[in-house]
Amino acid sequence: MENATINKNSDLYKMLRQLPRGYNSSECLTCGACNSRCTWFEGEGGPLPRQIIRMAALGLDEQLAKSGMLWDCLVCNRCTQGCPMGITMDKVVRKARSLAVSEDIMPPDIKKGIKTRLETGDVNGLTTEDFVETVEWISEEFVDEVDDPKAEIPHDIKGAKFLYLPNPRELGLNLMHLTAMAKLFYAAKEPWTMSSRHTDVTNWGYFTGQDDASRKMALMVVEAAEDLEIETLVLSECGHAYHVLKYLLEDIIGRKPGFEVISIPEFTLRYAQKGVLKFNPDVHPYKIAYHDPCNIGRKSGGYDAPRQVLAMVCKGVVELTPNREDGICCGGGGGMLQDSTSTAKRMITGRPKAEQMKAAGLPNLATACLSCHRQLGELSKHYKLGIKVDTVASLASEALIL
Amino acid sequence: MGKAGPDVLIIGGGVAGISAARTFAGQDIVVHLVEKENYLGGHAAQWACMATDACENCSACLSIEMADQVQNQENVIIHLNTGIKSIEKNKPGYGIELDNGKTFAVQKIILATGFSPFDAAGIGSLHYDAYENVITTADLNSVLRKDRLKDYLNGKSAPEIAFIQCVGSRNRDQGRDYCSQVCCKISMRHAEKLVHLYPECNITVFYMDLQIIGKETRTLFKRLSDNVTLLQGVPGEILKDEKTQRLVITTEDEKGVARISRQFDLIVLSVGMVPPQDIENTLTMLGSNPNSWGFFNTDKAEPGKDVIVAGCAEGPKDILSSIQDGKIAALEVIEELGIQKKDQKPDVAVLGNGVQAGITAEKIASYGYQVHLFGPAAASDSITGVNMVDNARIITVQGTAGNFSIYYESGGEKKYLTCAAIIASAEPDRLSTGPAGLKNSCMGLDEFCSMAARSPDEINNDTAIVLDYSGPEFKEPARLALTAAIKAAEAGKNISIIANKMLVHGPSGQQIYDSARQAGVSFLRFKTQEDLKFEKNPKGVTIKIKEATLPSLELSLECECIVFPDTRISGSVFRHMADRLNQHLDCEGFLQGANIRHRLTGSPRKGIFFAGSGHDDIDMDDLDREIQAIAAALATGGFDQPNADTGVEINQKKCAQCLTCIRVCPHNAIVMNNKNRPQIVPDACCSCHLCVANCPAYAIDSKELTNDQIADRAEKGRVMLLACERSAALAAGNLSLPAHIELVKIPCACRISSDIILRLLLNGASKVIISGCHEDNCRSLEGSRTAGENVQKVLSIPGMDNSKVVWEPVAANESVKIEQIIAKA
Repeated sequence: MENATINKNSDLYKMLRQLPRGYNSSECLTCGACNSRCTWFEGEGGPLPRQIIRMAALGLDEQLAKSGMLWDCLVCNRCTQGCPMGITMDKVVRKARSLAVSEDIMPPDIKKGIKTRLETGDVNGLTTEDFVETVEWISEEFVDEVDDPKAEIPHDIKGAKFLYLPNPRELGLNLMHLTAMAKLFYAAKEPWTMSSRHTDVTNWGYFTGQDDASRKMALMVVEAAEDLEIETLVLSECGHAYHVLKYLLEDIIGRKPGFEVISIPEFTLRYAQKGVLKFNPDVHPYKIAYHDPCNIGRKSGGYDAPRQVLAMVCKGVVELTPNREDGICCGGGGGMLQDSTSTAKRMITGRPKAEQMKAAGLPNLATACLSCHRQLGELSKHYKLGIKVDTVASLASEALIL
Repeated sequence: MGKAGPDVLIIGGGVAGISAARTFAGQDIVVHLVEKENYLGGHAAQWACMATDACENCSACLSIEMADQVQNQENVIIHLNTGIKSIEKNKPGYGIELDNGKTFAVQKIILATGFSPFDAAGIGSLHYDAYENVITTADLNSVLRKDRLKDYLNGKSAPEIAFIQCVGSRNRDQGRDYCSQVCCKISMRHAEKLVHLYPECNITVFYMDLQIIGKETRTLFKRLSDNVTLLQGVPGEILKDEKTQRLVITTEDEKGVARISRQFDLIVLSVGMVPPQDIENTLTMLGSNPNSWGFFNTDKAEPGKDVIVAGCAEGPKDILSSIQDGKIAALEVIEELGIQKKDQKPDVAVLGNGVQAGITAEKIASYGYQVHLFGPAAASDSITGVNMVDNARIITVQGTAGNFSIYYESGGEKKYLTCAAIIASAEPDRLSTGPAGLKNSCMGLDEFCSMAARSPDEINNDTAIVLDYSGPEFKEPARLALTAAIKAAEAGKNISIIANKMLVHGPSGQQIYDSARQAGVSFLRFKTQEDLKFEKNPKGVTIKIKEATLPSLELSLECECIVFPDTRISGSVFRHMADRLNQHLDCEGFLQGANIRHRLTGSPRKGIFFAGSGHDDIDMDDLDREIQAIAAALATGGFDQPNADTGVEINQKKCAQCLTCIRVCPHNAIVMNNKNRPQIVPDACCSCHLCVANCPAYAIDSKELTNDQIADRAEKGRVMLLACERSAALAAGNLSLPAHIELVKIPCACRISSDIILRLLLNGASKVIISGCHEDNCRSLEGSRTAGENVQKVLSIPGMDNSKVVWEPVAANESVKIEQIIAKA
C-alpha cells in the first residue's frame, strides 16, 4: 500500500486555503454525497470525488496528480451540486490541474492546443487568410441558401451590432453549422459580423486551471470585439466558452468588457420574443429532449433559454430525467473530448448518459454545446441508440420562416 | 374545574407542552393548553413502537400516556384544533384570543410549538416524491404503526433496506448548519425493529458521523444486530433501475478504488427537524425572535418577556429531553409566580465524589433546600449553603420519599441524617486510552485544554488528538478537544483530530466543527483501532493511518505530541452507591437502569434521583438541565405530600409477616411500621399492585377490583383481556370491542397472579390474554417479566391448552397490534 505524508505546507493546500468558498476543500465534512453523484458509471478507474477533495484537504498533491483522477474528472460539478459546505469540484480540480501542469502532467493534445491558441489565436492554428477564404466561400453559398443576392456572412464590419464568435468546428468539420447560424442573423435583420482578428470561442486554459493562459485567451476575444465596437458578442454553442466568456469573464479579465455577451440560443430567443424571428415547429414533428451542458446549466444557471427556443422550434419537447441541476454529463467534459487519446474512455464516461438516452426512448436529442453535440452523437453511434443529435440553434435555423 | 389561580398558556400539545401541563397537576394554576391538531402528544403520538423482544427505549409511548393524564387533569383546559388569533400584552401578562373566539388572560406563556420534519422533496435528487419506496422516518413510523411494511418490500422476505442520515441537517449551504440530534439513534432503532420483523433482511445505514450520544444510544449501538451494516458517507442521489424497478445508490467500494451501485427495495430518508412553518404569526404576536434557524437554542434568539420556550421549539431534541424541558418550564413558571405551597423546603442529600456533586448541591441549595453533601471531595471544597458531610461512608439508606434516613460512618462514629430526597451524583472513573510506550509524547486532554486556554503558543507545533480510540467517545471530551483544537489552530499550530466520528451534539455542535475545519484543524477518520499505528521517532511519533476516506493509501502524520482523552468507566463507588439506594446499574456499569419511565433523572424509588456523568453521557449544560428537572420534581413531584390513594390495602389480620411484600416491592414503598407490621407508604407507592399478586397469605388486596372481583368478571365463553392501564388499555382506548371480549383495566401486568388466571378459566373464560408494557418498559420494572412467567406457570399445568392463556406485550401506541390481537381472539 502506498504511503503518503499529510502535508499542510503543500502548494495545493496553501493555495486553496487562501481562496474563497468553492475552493474550500479543507472544510469537507466527508459526508460523501459527491461520491454518489459522480457521473462516471460504476466500476474501477475514473475519479472518486471525495478522494480528490480529501487529498486536496490533506496536502497530498503528489498522490492526487499521480492518481489520474484529475484528468479523468469531467469537471461537470454534478458531484458537488448540493455539497453542504459549498465546495465546487471544478474549482478544486482546476487548481490541482494547474499545479500538475507546472510539473508537465497533462494530456499532450491539451498542451498542444493551448500552445497553438496562445501563439496563433486559434486552437487549430487557423490563419487570418484561411479564415477569410473560408468565410467568403461559404458566404457565397449562403446567397443560394437564402436565395437573396444581398445576403452575406460578413466579417470585420466595424460598428456592427453583433459579433458572432464561432467554434473551431464551425470553421472546419462543420461549416454547415456556421451557415445555419448566419441564417438566424440574416432573419433577425440586424447588422452582424465575424472577426478575422479573432476566430475562436474556446478557452482551454479553463480546463487546465491556468488562469494566466485563460486570461490571455479571453483578452484576445475581448480586444478583438472592442476593436470592432460591437454592442453584443454572440457566442457559438459551446459550453465552456459560455461559462468562461459570459459567467466568469469579469473575474478573469478584471474589468467589465465594453459589450454584452450572449449565446446564439439566447440571441435567437431574444429576436423570437420580439416577434422578428418566426418558426415553423412542424418541420420537427418528432419527440425531442434537451440535454443540459454542464457548463451552461449547472455552472452558469443557463437552464431556460435553450429550452424556450426548443419549445418554439420543435413540436414534441419532453424532458430527460434527471435534468437541470441533476442532469447527467455527456461524458466529454473537462477537456476529455479535446484529448484525442480519450475516445475509448469517453464511451465509458458517457455510458450513464447513453443509458439515460436509451431509457428515454426518444428519436432526437438537442443540446446547446458543440462538444456535447459531438459526444452525444458518438454515444448514439457506439451504443447503437439511433438517436439524432442536433444543436438548439441549428434546429431553430431549420425551422425559420423567412 | 378546580381551584382558581393564575392562568398559564401552553402553546403546543406535543410532548413538551403536555409534560409542562402535567407538571402543574395539583398546583393552584389554570392551564390553557392550545393545540392545532385534534389530538395531544404531537409527533411522538404518531410514532410506532420500536420494541423488539424488549423495549428499545424510544419513549414514543410516553406521549400517549402523558396525553391521557393531561386529559384527566383537573386544572387543564384543552383547546384542540385551535390556533391563536391574537395575543395582546397586558401589564402583567397577556390577553389571549383563540381562533375559535374564546378569550382569556394569562400571566405566563410556555411556547412548546415543536418542530416539523424536513420536507424531503426539497432535495430533488433523492426522488422522495417520484419513487414510492423512498420514504422518510416519519413515513416509516406510520407504515409500521399500520403494519403495512410488507407493501414496501417488493414482496421479499429478505429485503435490502437502506437508511440515509442527515437529510436536511448539517447543511451550511442551505442554512441548516445544525445536527438534528435524534436521527442517528432513531435509525438504529428502526433498523433493529425491521430486523425484528424481517430477520433475514439486510440493512445499511449510511451516516455522516454516527451520533452515539446518551445512555440509551450507547447501549443500542453496542448490541446492534449483524444484519445492520453501518457505512460512512451519505448518498446524495437515489435513482431507479428500470429493469428491476429497485432503487439504486452509487457509492465508493470498501477498498476505495471503484464506484459501485447497490440496489435496495426500500430507502428511508432520515429527515432532520426544522421549525414548524406556520408559527411565524404567533411568534410575532408574542414579540419572540427565533434565531436564523427558526429555533430558540442560541443566544441570538429572544423568547420575549414572560415567555418560556420548551421542547423542540428551542431546537432539535429527543422525547425524553422534551419531557424534561416541559418540567423545567413548569418549574420556572411556578417559581416566578411564587405559588409554591410549602414555605419550609425539605432536606436533600447529594451523594458524589467530584465536582458535579458540588455543583448539584450548590444549585439545589439555591432553590432554598437544605442540602447535605456526602462525598470524599466534600471536605476540601466548602460550598456555601451546603452542609458538608465529610468523608462519610454510607452504611444504609432506609425509609421512603420525603422521609429517608441515611445511616453513615464518619470519623469512626456512626451517625444518621434524615432527608426528603437523595440525588446520586457520583462521577465515573477515568482510564487513559493511549497505547503503551508513547508516554513521553502523550498528553492528557485536560492538560491540552488548559494549555490551549492559557498559553496556546506553548502547544507543540504538530499535535494530534485521537478520539474514539477505545470505543465511542463521550460528549464532553469530544467537545473539549474540538474547542481546544480551534484555539491551538488559531495560534498557528498544526492540529489534527483523528476520530471515528465527530460528535456534533448541542445547538452549536455543527458550527463548532465547521469553525475547526475553517481554522485549519485537519480531521482524519479511522474505522477501527487497528487502522492506527504509532511509531516513535526522535522528534516525536509518526502515526500511520488507514484513513477511512482514502482507503487505498497509508497516511503518515508526523506529530510531536498526541492527546488521548481519558475514557469514562463505571466508578468504583457506583456499585456501593447503587446497592445502598437499592438501584440497578446499567449494562455499562453506570448508575441508573435504562428504563425510560425513570429517565432522565428519576428512579423507580420515588425521591431518589440521578444527576451527572455517573448515570449518563452528559456535559455541563446537561447537568444544569438535570438539576433543574430534579428541582421541578422536588417542587411538584408529590413525594413530600400525601399521594393519591395507593389503592392497596393490607389486611393485618391475615398478614403472616413473611416480608414478601417488602422484598418484591419495586418502588421500596413498603416498610415495617413501629408495630413490626408491613405498611405501604402512599408517598412512595406507584400502585402497581405487585404486592397484591405476590402475597402468599392473600393479606393484600386491591381496594377496587379485588382478586375476587376480577375472577368474577369471567363468564362462560368470554375472552378476558387484562390490559395494563399504562399501555395496552391505552392502545385499545378507542376501539369498539366485540361482545365476547371483556377488557379489564389493570394497574400493571404484574397485578395478575397465576391464581387469578386459573380462577378466570375455572369461571368459564374461553381465553385469558394479559397485555402490558414491553419488557424493560414496565414502570414497576418486573410487570412484563412477571406476567410472562405467570402465563408460563399456568401453561405448564398438564393438559392445559396453550392457546388459552397468552401474554402479549403491547405499547400504548400499538393500537393496530391490540386490534389484531382482539380480532384473533
